[in-house]
Amino acid sequence: MSANPENLVAIFVMALAAMAAKGGGFIAMRWLGRHRFVNALLDHAPGAVLVSAAIVPLVQAGGAFIVGAAVAALLTSKVGGFTPGLFGGVGAVALARWAGLT
Amino acid sequence: MILPGLASLPFGIGFGVAAAQKGLSAFETTLMSFTVMAGTSQMVALDIWAQPLPLMALAVSVFVANLRYFVMGAALQPHLPHLPWWLQPPVWYVTVDQNWAVNIAEYRRGHGDLGKFLGGGFVMACIWSGSTLAGHLAAGGLLSDPATARRLGLDFVGVAVFVVVATILFRGKRDVAPWTVAIAAALAAKWGIGGNWYIVVGGLAGGLFGALRDLRKTDVRQS
Repeated sequence: MSANPENLVAIFVMALAAMAAKGGGFIAMRWLGRHRFVNALLDHAPGAVLVSAAIVPLVQAGGAFIVGAAVAALLTSKVGGFTPGLFGGVGAVALARWAGLT
Repeated sequence: MILPGLASLPFGIGFGVAAAQKGLSAFETTLMSFTVMAGTSQMVALDIWAQPLPLMALAVSVFVANLRYFVMGAALQPHLPHLPWWLQPPVWYVTVDQNWAVNIAEYRRGHGDLGKFLGGGFVMACIWSGSTLAGHLAAGGLLSDPATARRLGLDFVGVAVFVVVATILFRGKRDVAPWTVAIAAALAAKWGIGGNWYIVVGGLAGGLFGALRDLRKTDVRQS
């Protein structure tokens, strides 16, 4: 349970900075209100953020990740819900690696 | 939320090992993970972690590395318009990648639940902090080898969450063009800028494109 006071101050500063970034969007939206353009932007932003977050690791890792993503998307659209796609995708990556894909 | 939480396991173990090598104690490592709860920014901070500690540089780098949460928070806020002031910091705290992804989908479908959002985030915080502690304690041992988790496909869980939730949110033809723009912008940002900016750039580019297109369509219909 050792802790250096200087390290604790740095950790506190980091936690504040992380909270500022996380809370900033919530606070900014309260100021911006529900303008027509903001509504339209937020209608599309979640999907755009998700595909942006997924595409880079998929392109970088390739092979097994691509197989996993295809299986996850297929299972989700055919079976529905969150769990089948998630477990199926992870299982497909494990199988693809076992079969020799990287 | 346990499986999405496991997405952070290999990364958490890696962070714990790196923190031990930088001289942080097990307590400091766990405390940092639990309070900051943003792995990439913690890893960035470790890069510049040297005595005397550069507090301003740490604050700026953590803030910038977490800017994607700004966009995520802005997208979530309209679903939680009347939060009491004392609940706002906990909600900000649990706004992290997988927890946000799962819950924005639920809110969009009208099934959003604040208790699930907060509880899921707390579970993820425990798994993340626990994995960094495990990495710290096992630095140099079996757990410090992320190959086992990789063999089981656990390094894919984080990406799988994004793919699954994107599939659930997909509304057909009207999403194709904005998502294509987002993908192109994200890849260009990763190639051109590097770091984690691609999520912010792709998200804003796709969102702006979709918004401008929809508003133009509405204006044309009205005129």
